[in-house]
Amino acid sequence: MAEPATELQFDSAAALAAEEHEVAIVGRSPWYLAWRRLRRNYVALGSLGVFIAIVIACALAPIYARHIAHTGPNETHASESVEVNGKERPIIAGGSVYNPKTNTFKIRKVTILGPQWWHAGGRYALGADNLGRDEAVRLLYGGMNSLMIGIGSALICTFVAVGLALLAGYHGGATDWFVSRAFDLIWAFPVLLLAIALGSALSINGFHHFGISISPGSLWIPTIVISIILIPYVGRPIRGQVLSLRQKEFIEAAEGQGAGSFRVMFFDLLPNVISTVLVFFTLIIATNILTEAGLSYLGAGVRLPNPSWGNLIASGQEQLVSAPWLVLVPGLALVVTVLSLNIFGDGLRDALDPRSKTKVER
Amino acid sequence: MFVFIARRLLGMFAVLIAVSFLVFVIFILIPGGDPAERMAGKNPTPENVVNIREKWGFDKPFYVQYVRMMQKAATGILPGSHGQYDVLRSFQNQTNVAEQIKRGLPVTFSLAIGAATIWLFFGIVVGVIAAVKAGQWSDRLITTLALVGISLPVFWLGIVVRYFLTEKPAHPLFPDGGYYPFTKDPVQWAYHLVLPWFVLAVLFIGFYGRVLRSNMLDVMNEDYVRTARAKGLEPKLVMTRHVLRNSLIPIVTLFGLDFAAVLGGAAILTETVFELHGVGWYAAQSVGDLDLPPIMGVTLYGAFFIVFFSALVDIVYAFLDPRIRPA
Amino acid sequence: MTSRRRWSWLLGTVALVAGISLMVAAYGVAANRTKAAPKHPQAFGTLKTVLDTIDYLDPQQAYTGQSWWAMWNVWETLVTYQHVDGAAGYKLVPGLAQSLPTVSANGKVYRFKLRKGLKYSNGKPVKASDFKYAIKREYLSQGQGVGFYTDIAGALNFSKTLKGDIPGIQTNNAKRTIVIKLTKARGDFLTILALLFAAPVPAGTPNTDQSTHPIPATGPYRISGYTPNVGFTMVRNPYFKPTKYIPRGNPNKVEVSLIGDANAATQRVSSGQADYSNGAIPPDRIADAKSKGILKLRVTANTYYFWMNMTVPPFNKLKVRQAVNYALNRKTMQTLVWGGLGAGTQNVLPTTYPSYRKLSLYPHNTNKAKQLIQQAGANGAKVTVWTRNVSDAVTAAQYYQSVLNSIGLDASLNILPRTTYYTTIGNVKTKAQTGWARWLEDYPHPLDWFDVLLNGNRITDENNNNYAWYSNKTTNKEIESLKKSPRLTPAVNARWAKVEKQIMQQAPWAPWSNRVFPEYFNKKMGCIHMQRLYGVDFLRLCKK
Repeated sequence: MAEPATELQFDSAAALAAEEHEVAIVGRSPWYLAWRRLRRNYVALGSLGVFIAIVIACALAPIYARHIAHTGPNETHASESVEVNGKERPIIAGGSVYNPKTNTFKIRKVTILGPQWWHAGGRYALGADNLGRDEAVRLLYGGMNSLMIGIGSALICTFVAVGLALLAGYHGGATDWFVSRAFDLIWAFPVLLLAIALGSALSINGFHHFGISISPGSLWIPTIVISIILIPYVGRPIRGQVLSLRQKEFIEAAEGQGAGSFRVMFFDLLPNVISTVLVFFTLIIATNILTEAGLSYLGAGVRLPNPSWGNLIASGQEQLVSAPWLVLVPGLALVVTVLSLNIFGDGLRDALDPRSKTKVER
Repeated sequence: MFVFIARRLLGMFAVLIAVSFLVFVIFILIPGGDPAERMAGKNPTPENVVNIREKWGFDKPFYVQYVRMMQKAATGILPGSHGQYDVLRSFQNQTNVAEQIKRGLPVTFSLAIGAATIWLFFGIVVGVIAAVKAGQWSDRLITTLALVGISLPVFWLGIVVRYFLTEKPAHPLFPDGGYYPFTKDPVQWAYHLVLPWFVLAVLFIGFYGRVLRSNMLDVMNEDYVRTARAKGLEPKLVMTRHVLRNSLIPIVTLFGLDFAAVLGGAAILTETVFELHGVGWYAAQSVGDLDLPPIMGVTLYGAFFIVFFSALVDIVYAFLDPRIRPA
Repeated sequence: MTSRRRWSWLLGTVALVAGISLMVAAYGVAANRTKAAPKHPQAFGTLKTVLDTIDYLDPQQAYTGQSWWAMWNVWETLVTYQHVDGAAGYKLVPGLAQSLPTVSANGKVYRFKLRKGLKYSNGKPVKASDFKYAIKREYLSQGQGVGFYTDIAGALNFSKTLKGDIPGIQTNNAKRTIVIKLTKARGDFLTILALLFAAPVPAGTPNTDQSTHPIPATGPYRISGYTPNVGFTMVRNPYFKPTKYIPRGNPNKVEVSLIGDANAATQRVSSGQADYSNGAIPPDRIADAKSKGILKLRVTANTYYFWMNMTVPPFNKLKVRQAVNYALNRKTMQTLVWGGLGAGTQNVLPTTYPSYRKLSLYPHNTNKAKQLIQQAGANGAKVTVWTRNVSDAVTAAQYYQSVLNSIGLDASLNILPRTTYYTTIGNVKTKAQTGWARWLEDYPHPLDWFDVLLNGNRITDENNNNYAWYSNKTTNKEIESLKKSPRLTPAVNARWAKVEKQIMQQAPWAPWSNRVFPEYFNKKMGCIHMQRLYGVDFLRLCKK
């Protein structure tokens, strides 16, 4: 207890708090508050955990391939067999048989080795694919490719979109007109068609112009194409936000103080839109992973034999009757990854928005 | 007002030109095989290749070829039969591109309109229920389902649904893909489209439901809603007259653009998986073959829809709210 | 006799005579009817078929097996093939010509005479000059078969100028004669004339693709309508008269749907909506399809192979090429790529040729392959495998790439669009090292293989078909010499076999399969006959 004051003195909030809690209360930034809200959202955190676990698992693909499965993602072992619980089982068996003497064929089904889980000593845990490759290894490497493209393209997209939105929103006038028209153009552009065409066409020789050299089959091609698709989607709302912020007094104040345009954009405008940007970023990763899957399914994303969850589904489609897991497993991997991102993105948005959406005053 | 509309339409036209020119330049720059060689086939004489090049104008500079291609595209829309060199023709088999697109129109339109009706309806229902029951378990359930919906890869869902519901069972509930013309048999037409409609709609239902829910919750926290309730207005009336009406405006914008996209052939994956030979399917085939005339045709077609609907939405907005005049 | 008796006798006689004549007449009519009935007992209404794709329905343009399947019964050629099963189907017989031509001693002049009274499906007569018109039209419309006819005197010049005449073809409409002069003798000239490119068409047919405006027909059927990517219909040609070699067809009408998706096509037949599908059934579903319909396997003359460009490293070394041949497990490849529906091969020619002698120069031996790569110093050599974006080609190429990696090369894969594949690898600038290819015979003669694919003298910089860029003085010379021999006698066949062995010892290719194609029929179909060259003979199909 404080000693009785001889003068009328008001204790500071910190002192009062110190009396009560024995610790000083500091004014919290909105970031900290958001973090606290997020911390309490177990579902969102759990989803983030799932996503990070998937990323780590895929990043460990080379280790899994070397030490557990003992094969690379593109190596076919079609004529070989594997030891399961002591017995030798062929990886690809069956198939129609030709009798050269009678010149006839006996029609038989082809049997592909199914998921062995741990029974084959780590090999073919999720079975084999139509060429006798280890599906689990391909799943992990495919995840690595899909995630790299998804996250990479999301980074580029967000970076470019935010940059353009800041420029357009701040400068207005002609800059705004050009950027808005650029957004219109990209939005009207058949980017999926373009992605397919570029993917196919650049695979012949790669891209060797203007000092940039990209080899055919490089992951940069789908990454860059996919990142272009959603630039207007992120750019337009941010531009709207910047436009409304532009009118506020603190911007006037900063300009009045003599801040240059770059400083105003970067240090005054950007921090105010960053929460929206973060939420968009998470959602764009999810969308881009799905887009990349669609492109790879059509043969225009990651090029065979390199795996991607999308082209694993395409390859597995031919075996849908005899080996349905080849289609189901990569699809589930996609769904779980994207869902975890979406759930986390929702939680992030709820945390960053002070007006929590689930609480309605009744 | 008219000046505004005129400017918008002019902008639309400009975007079409820009898009087509960009597509053309990209195809000229990237190596895709000499079209003359492709047309000449397996066993040509060198003279044959030269003749083809001359006849079809492949030896002209690229801007001349571009203008010529645009002329051909425009001519193709006109009815009646056309000469060999007057309209866009595939490099592969010289079929008339405009005809092929026209043939795909009923399929794409059927798919788009059916799916759009379903997703709009269910999207609104889902959004309203989730907003009204916000915070309760039914809201959580619906929101989670919506999230799952937008996390599904549409082509994978299509493959799985198609296989397990139409091919595997001994007595399938649904027909295995393909399109049945409406004029031939409306019942079969709908029956063949039910699965594609739902697969395409799933993604959008989730998305629209969440957007509507979010908007409604925003609006429900607004002061004027609180005032309305304080006035003693029935909660249902508050919902419909104030909350829903205002929350639906952004939905209308989104719907306009999404619907335009699907009409324009954006449902490539759904059409491919379900063997619906619409414009999207035709686009996927020609792009896979690097066949420039159909690609150009489909690009112009799709871009037209998006740009047109975008301008339409803007005009309607400007008409409704004089304060809103886009840049 | 009394008059009454006379009258009744007369009446009776008349009645008897009338009765007998009536009976005779009735019997005659009945006999005629039963005689008329067996004339065409197997005729039936509509044959519904599904084809995966066609390119054109214009004889001077079409160059796919599927188009020819329909068209060889729509536009007849001077000489044609028999509608019989087995090897006899390769024998050339008169089509529009009265008989096989007389060939001059030096093999450079062919004389034909057209049959009398030939008419197109529009009733107009078929003239001898229409044959020349067709050949000229082939050049004027930039058809895909121009390369076959350049040995006709004046044709090469005509192909350059596109003006004037082809003096090497002389026709006389009154006498119905056609005389063709060649610049040099060609052993396969008759088979080239049997190609649809040389089918006579009415003079005045425009020089652009007429697939959607069907050209009048000379065969048992005519095209009555064509919607690209959707389908076409064939109906009977009313002016066609069956000959000894060309029968009337059984179906009155043939409706063809074009469905690219193999599953959908197969389903159509299983469910009864179609009678026949030529589509490649995915190996996964073949056993199922077999139980729901009639599955026949068609042996055609085809070879699937990997070519190796001998002008670029590492395939300029013989040991590397041999290593590749040793490394492939051809048996496994049949299972992987077509579920077993193919026979492994190390030959250039498929087994249907009389000159075929089975080669087993490279029994599967991975270790030997690795050794050879080592000896050639090609370990770690970068190789790009090319293939086209078709399911079986992609599967085969992925396997091939994996095998190359396993023997010590550093291989990557490049998948090209289906439509630009051949022109890209056939262009010398691409410098493609190795890749997938297949050849389906155009006509049954070894020249269609060795001259087109492996004759060093015919290598071109663009649209090259000799993807291995293989040129060997000895075999080149032998191929040129064999070109002149008009007939495939046992002696000639022995020489062909020797050439083949010499070529495979140089290993420009790694052949791996002779594919077998499923032909799928509805359970109601009968009289299923396979013509060696053109496949299922729809003329002779019937309903059970």
